[in-house]
Amino acid sequence: MRFFWSTLSAIFVKDIVTELRSRQVLPTMIVLGMLIVWVLRMASEAILTSKAVMGPVALWISFLFSGLLVQERSFAAEQQHDCIYGLLLAPIDQGTIYLSKLLANTAMLCIFEIIIVPVVLVAFRLGPDTRWPALAGVLLLGNIGISSVGTLFSAVVRVSRARSSLLSVLVLVVLMPMMIPATFALLTVFGAVPETLQGTGALSFIGSFNAAVGYMIAFDAVFVVACWLLFGFAIKE
Amino acid sequence: MRRLLLVVTFLLMFGAIWIALTVGAIKGPPANPDSPVRNIFYAHVPSSICSLICFLVLLVVSIGYLYTGRPVLDLVALAAVEVGLLFATVLNATGSIFSRGEWGVWWTPTPRLVTSAILWFLYVAYLILRSSLPGSAQRRARICAVFAIIAFLDVPLVIISARFIPDMHRASFEFTSTWQTAAFVMSMMATVLLAATFIWLRADLLISESKLQEEIVL
Repeated sequence: MRFFWSTLSAIFVKDIVTELRSRQVLPTMIVLGMLIVWVLRMASEAILTSKAVMGPVALWISFLFSGLLVQERSFAAEQQHDCIYGLLLAPIDQGTIYLSKLLANTAMLCIFEIIIVPVVLVAFRLGPDTRWPALAGVLLLGNIGISSVGTLFSAVVRVSRARSSLLSVLVLVVLMPMMIPATFALLTVFGAVPETLQGTGALSFIGSFNAAVGYMIAFDAVFVVACWLLFGFAIKE
Repeated sequence: MRRLLLVVTFLLMFGAIWIALTVGAIKGPPANPDSPVRNIFYAHVPSSICSLICFLVLLVVSIGYLYTGRPVLDLVALAAVEVGLLFATVLNATGSIFSRGEWGVWWTPTPRLVTSAILWFLYVAYLILRSSLPGSAQRRARICAVFAIIAFLDVPLVIISARFIPDMHRASFEFTSTWQTAAFVMSMMATVLLAATFIWLRADLLISESKLQEEIVL
């Protein structure tokens, strides 16, 4: 068990330190996120949509697309000088490589969120009032879901020439079902829709805020476990 | 055997179409009772079930491939995806026509429509992934099997939404005559047999193709 933790922390620290020293992804992510927020802010002026609706939309879109940047890097960087063989030849469980990469991607997305959430709140003049813990919880759950699938597929597409476009297609397709409860949860946090919703629309099938969080926890758990189990097949040469 | 299967499938299909258009026709929506739009139900429901069956076949052969590494299973998986995509396209197209006739819109984001669109996207993503992976055939097969298993995790949601969630889309249908039941059962059998035949023919073709390629390389 101690070996597992030391391996996990070694790869995690390596990824974070590499990024902090080279600053290859984080600045790009933040600028892309801000540009997405800016474009949607302009759009919300034009179409007269409630800002409480556009705010969560801006948050999820910027997380998804900026998340793709960091996930794509996580294995492409290993591929560049064949560093991946060093990882694969090391006498460690391949599942541990997945978990540490997942942790590093989640941490990077968390840093991104800490910067981009205030930007969205200011741009759309939003505030979750007393619901800060709910906001943080929903963002963290979404973050884990996005990173879990993204990390696995990053290993899958690392040899392909159309790496980034292929990664975006795969990740967005698999995450589509999770984005429905995620959108609902953020909309309720900002008071754009009531806590419980009845009717026949796509969002009302989630039902309530608690159910939306439940769906997200279930998706995260299923995706993390399945991706962890299948990672060995995805990384093998 | 294959010819017999095709003949039985086409006989059932023609029988189902004939009954559906004559004695088993379903009345149109209350606003327009003469409209034949509800007859699309005979093609819509079987194709939805077939697209799910193809996904199940894909899951089983993908797990089988990861377990045994037999190349035939990978080719069957590709055949299942191609046939599944065909039925998912029919499902979404017929659903869209039905929706236009019944509710006046081509598409609206209700749970079942959203989830059947997701199903279609999953099939398409599999084919895109398959066509853009370089390297050895084993590696491509393994990665596609991994994607198929992850993608299947989304499918329970499709089934749950179709059965248990309140929606303007109906979960079941009441038949008013025995002819309608007969037409439905026949169209269901015909579509399932058609899917099975298509998978069989396509997998056979893919296997012959890969054998031929191996011979050329040797």
